[in-house]
Amino acid sequence: MNDKETSKLDETTVPFFPDHIGLEAKVALVFGIFMIAIGIVGLINPLGLQSPADPMDTPVHVKPEWYFLALYQILKFIPKGVGASLPVILVGLIFIWPFLDHKPDKSRNTTRNRGIAMLVLMVVFILLTIWGELS
Amino acid sequence: MKYLPRRLILVGLCVLGFAVIIVTNNAQAISSPENNTLNWGLVNLLTSNQAKTISKLHTSTLPPPAKQDPCLHCHIAGEEKGLWTPTLRWAIFGTVGIIFVFGIVRESTIWRTRAPWKSLITRTSEWIDERYEISNPLNKILSKPVPQWQRRWWYCLGGLTAFAFVIQGITGIMLAFYYKPTPEAAYTSIIFIENEVYLGSTIRMIHHWSANFMIVLCIAHMLRVFIMGAFKPPRELNWVSGVLLFIVTLAFGFTGYLLPWDQRAYWATTVGTEIAGSLPIIGDPALILLRVGWNISDLTLSRFYGLHVIVIPAITLVMMGLHFMMVRKQGIMKPL
Repeated sequence: MNDKETSKLDETTVPFFPDHIGLEAKVALVFGIFMIAIGIVGLINPLGLQSPADPMDTPVHVKPEWYFLALYQILKFIPKGVGASLPVILVGLIFIWPFLDHKPDKSRNTTRNRGIAMLVLMVVFILLTIWGELS
Repeated sequence: MKYLPRRLILVGLCVLGFAVIIVTNNAQAISSPENNTLNWGLVNLLTSNQAKTISKLHTSTLPPPAKQDPCLHCHIAGEEKGLWTPTLRWAIFGTVGIIFVFGIVRESTIWRTRAPWKSLITRTSEWIDERYEISNPLNKILSKPVPQWQRRWWYCLGGLTAFAFVIQGITGIMLAFYYKPTPEAAYTSIIFIENEVYLGSTIRMIHHWSANFMIVLCIAHMLRVFIMGAFKPPRELNWVSGVLLFIVTLAFGFTGYLLPWDQRAYWATTVGTEIAGSLPIIGDPALILLRVGWNISDLTLSRFYGLHVIVIPAITLVMMGLHFMMVRKQGIMKPL
């Protein structure tokens, strides 16, 4: 089993320069062309602005940036102090994660479990973001 | 006199060239009129009518203009007034001239060094290498073998994040040339960028979307690393620096969002800083630190601008340098 898995990896090498850097340049080029296409869209249809900032006039739907939207949505339902410290604790946990989970384990099971956990986290995050965007 | 030294040929060519230039210029200079006896010092004192009559008098008494000399330039250029003929002529003569100059330079370098000819790039790189000896370590870095299994798209996510950061840097500098970080001018300067600056709306669009993609790519890269278990020893510090880079990227987004100073920006920042302000113990200090006071004001804008263009980019560059060096040293984790 293990031999099969390792033989799947292609161990033949290519030099970093120019072969590998060429591949990376191609990927970057595709991304760059994509960005230029977006720029052309911006030329035709600019991003635009809302009305100037006015502290006296609160809009009906106040929303943060999309990457804070899920957190904002959670904050609507749980006490503020807990909700605000939630991401701090989460980021702290992610920060020290390699020191908690440090056993060299390369089995397929743990990889799958981590994948499922992240998938669930991402689905929850995306659903909360969509909910926050719609509400 | 076995052979004519090349130096003499060169000097002779230069003298010949100068002679041609001088002769042709003199031929044109002779044709200018020389019968001007008007006292220009008096002209300033005259009224406009007097000046007109005097100038008429003078022009009438002047001898007829000298017969136009056959000018060499006109002869070459002909009477053609179109665009393409002179352009083509310039291109052909220019190319020939460049080849000629190149030949002379090349010949003269052989004559001077008596060494086989080397391109300017080779010479420059040798000059630098003589002094700083970087070619060996550089070759070592560049010729590092990369296994085929590493050439997969999911290993590109981190590099693409870095590339998005480079795009952000370039477009951000372009925007910073026109942006004014004061509440009075911020909004109008964005409108100026959108409507007046050449390709301004393009640059702003790219900056906006590249920022969003950078966050998405950053999250995707983190997920890839986490699921594959690449954070395990000995790569703990690389993961830590990566998490710091992620926080810094979010900080980029958070500070940049306020800068347009429109309703969306203002209220998004209000909400965002409120979340930070509702932290249990450090809430109030954090709120005051972010807003510079209890409310979002002009000071908040300058603080966010300073963070966005100076502090956070500097931190990002340092962390990225560490991140890349660690990856380079330890290599990508081999899956399974």
